[in-house]
Amino acid sequence: MNDRNHTVTAYDEELGFLSNRIAEMGGYAERMVDRAVTALINSDHALSKQVIAEDALMDNWHREIDDKSVLIIAKRQPMARDLREIIGTMRIASDLERIGDLGKNIAKRTVAVAEVKQPLRLYRGLESLAELAMIQLKEVLDTFATRRMDGIELLRDRDEEIDAKYTSLFRELLTYMMEDPRNISACTHLLFCAKNIERIGDHVTNIAETIHYMETGEGLANERPKDDKHNAITVSKA
Amino acid sequence: MTSAETSPEKSVNMSNMRDLEIAAKVNANKVTARNVDVYYGATHAIKNVSVDIYDKAVTAFIGPSGCGKSTFLRCINRMNDTINICKVSGKIEIEGEDIYDRRVDPVQLRAKVGMVFQKPNPFPKSIYDNVAYGPKIHGLSQNKTELDEIVETALKKAALWNEVKDRLAGPGTGLSGGQQQRLCIARAIATQPEVLLMDEPCSALDPIATAQVEELIDELRSQFSVVIVTHSMQQAARVSQRTAMFHLGELVEIDVTETMFTNPSHKKTQDYITGRYG
Repeated sequence: MNDRNHTVTAYDEELGFLSNRIAEMGGYAERMVDRAVTALINSDHALSKQVIAEDALMDNWHREIDDKSVLIIAKRQPMARDLREIIGTMRIASDLERIGDLGKNIAKRTVAVAEVKQPLRLYRGLESLAELAMIQLKEVLDTFATRRMDGIELLRDRDEEIDAKYTSLFRELLTYMMEDPRNISACTHLLFCAKNIERIGDHVTNIAETIHYMETGEGLANERPKDDKHNAITVSKA
Repeated sequence: MTSAETSPEKSVNMSNMRDLEIAAKVNANKVTARNVDVYYGATHAIKNVSVDIYDKAVTAFIGPSGCGKSTFLRCINRMNDTINICKVSGKIEIEGEDIYDRRVDPVQLRAKVGMVFQKPNPFPKSIYDNVAYGPKIHGLSQNKTELDEIVETALKKAALWNEVKDRLAGPGTGLSGGQQQRLCIARAIATQPEVLLMDEPCSALDPIATAQVEELIDELRSQFSVVIVTHSMQQAARVSQRTAMFHLGELVEIDVTETMFTNPSHKKTQDYITGRYG
């Protein structure tokens, strides 16, 4: 971040509070998504309820970061890097809060999906999609902590993998539904879960872009290619 | 720091593009300074400063106390001539004319390059005489009617006319601080200068008077080249199009104001504007 402290030490403490809170929110979001997917796969209702309850804390933290940031802006009139740091923190907090929401949404579907015991193969694709998203999330949080920019474009570009995986999962679930109409209810819920995980990947990308802006003052060059082609898939093509 | 680093020339990047845009809009450099050095006796106060100041734009000079920003400002209308031990070398041109040329009359130069100071300093005379003094000694009017017009125009430009039109004979010192400062601005622009130098013009004013002066600076920009020295980073960010950062007599960098306050290139600027200096 910055090797030199502010003349006013309270300012450093305020900025430190923001970045610590982001680290906490990040860890919490990771845990929520991980546990939501576990609850879904194991039909663990108790765990899913916990995840749903945990989201309230994420909302509180998000609000807290917003309030403190506005206060710092009003009080200190931040400039240059400090200003980017604060604006970036606000953006990341809202991405993390959304990731928490997506985790909660997945947890909410546990009950519906588990109504009838589902064959394990239905979950396999979802599990590996979630794994990919979790790796991305972990890496972007590490990047936030270390501020090393060397892997950041790669991190962003790897979202393509998630998109491609999501498209193939979409196809797969569609196939299950055609095979046996009794799968339709569960597969539809799983599709929503897959979509939620794919959205987590997008938020991770946003966070990577924000960190790059905070560090360099510039956006990441070039819009990355989109590999999410599920919107073109029809039953006949599945 | 080498002269290459202090040169206003920069490689083409986004902010450079924006700078070129501003330059294109204003058409010209008003003031061109090259390799300016200033000594107060043995003290080297300004070290090899080269800078371009655009016409019809506000340039802010920022930097910690004693960095030379006021000294450099005072070079532009040769105010430093009044200090015996002060020696200026290098070249400062206003529209191609070397202002340190022996043939240039400093009094005439100062009519062309007006100055407003930190503390409002109206003459102990009437409001009217404060503004009329400059035009009178420079013979800018043929008769009383013309002089009246000059005074009215200057006071209007300084956004003071409505407040003082009924008390022009009253003493300038009887006005409030903010009004006095605007009176000084009216006095400075009454001689129709080309460049207006402002040395911390708002530091003795309350926030409302400050806002009025800032509004005024924004309006004056359409007619003059304005250079303002300020300790308020927010003020520099608000009123200027370009900002120059000075440190220990050197020009650290000059760039488009937006870039300077969001993403400056030099660490010294970064540290100074974010409150990490010292």
